[in-house]
Amino acid sequence: MSLDISRSHTLPAALPGFQSIKRYWDNAMAISTAKLMPGEVYVTKQDEMIMTVLGSCVSACVRNPRTQVGGMNHFLLPQKGAHAVVPSIEGAAARYGNWAMEVLINEVLKFGGCKDDLEVKLFGGGKVLDSMTMDIGLRNIEFVFGFLEMEGIRVQAHDVGDRYPRKLLYFPNTGKVRVCKLQNTNQATVVRREAAYLQDIKNKPLEGEIDLF
Amino acid sequence: MTKILAVDDSASMRQMVVFTLQSAGYEVVEASDGLLALDAAKSGHFDLVLTDVNMPNMDGIALVRELRQLEAYKYTPILMLTTETAGDRKMAGRSAGATGWVVKPFNPDKLLATIKKVIG
Repeated sequence: MSLDISRSHTLPAALPGFQSIKRYWDNAMAISTAKLMPGEVYVTKQDEMIMTVLGSCVSACVRNPRTQVGGMNHFLLPQKGAHAVVPSIEGAAARYGNWAMEVLINEVLKFGGCKDDLEVKLFGGGKVLDSMTMDIGLRNIEFVFGFLEMEGIRVQAHDVGDRYPRKLLYFPNTGKVRVCKLQNTNQATVVRREAAYLQDIKNKPLEGEIDLF
Repeated sequence: MTKILAVDDSASMRQMVVFTLQSAGYEVVEASDGLLALDAAKSGHFDLVLTDVNMPNMDGIALVRELRQLEAYKYTPILMLTTETAGDRKMAGRSAGATGWVVKPFNPDKLLATIKKVIG
């Protein structure tokens, strides 16, 4: 009997709402992999890997060990605007960060369990540019810890801050994480991508639609 | 003074919503799930209910259904404020009797304009 290799590389169906996230078969790890860019969220109940590269961005990895459903977000708070709400994190940024966290938590909880069941791990928020007058990474770190404290959700593990970008591999089925701190040669690409994303959300702020019935 | 019942299981989301509504001059009462909101609605009177959809104990759609059974809330504007974009959930909200569907993250000015419009 011949081995049908292409069949073994079929990616599992993405959950509704996550079909637009880029996925591929990672040959080295032999696993279906979702690659997150800034502003994206991915949740799965399959045996998959979620990978991303973080500069000053932060990723929260959230899973329910009982249902083995888990996911990751990748966010970068927009720059200062009006409507100061949370101390040190102004309104537009807080609304955006809240959305990134709430979408992830809600999608994981749709498959059962409550907030007390969640296993949360945090990564990123590096000060990747020496010349930055403002520590964008620190702002993202402060936001996410503040959010989880206010929601009464415990952080099980974290690797945040420092000066390096991180490559993050997350396995929502088991909760395992691999973090690789990247050296200088990779910093320029990460910084450029994050700067472009910040410009995007400045030009076109993320806001949901309003429908009156 | 116009009184609004703001319902969300997320404390940080409630904080932002309450700040937005109070800064526009509304009186706001908070509830952290549908059951608590239903109790608050029965013991007081509100001109508008602004509720999340995904919540423990009683979700936002069940809350709308319950409120519409009450004489006092048959015609009260009820806006859903949610991360949910799925069409079937929106249709469920509409069938339950919601007045509108606002997707997070919300723009404060547009949220306030919508509230003003539905309160009339």
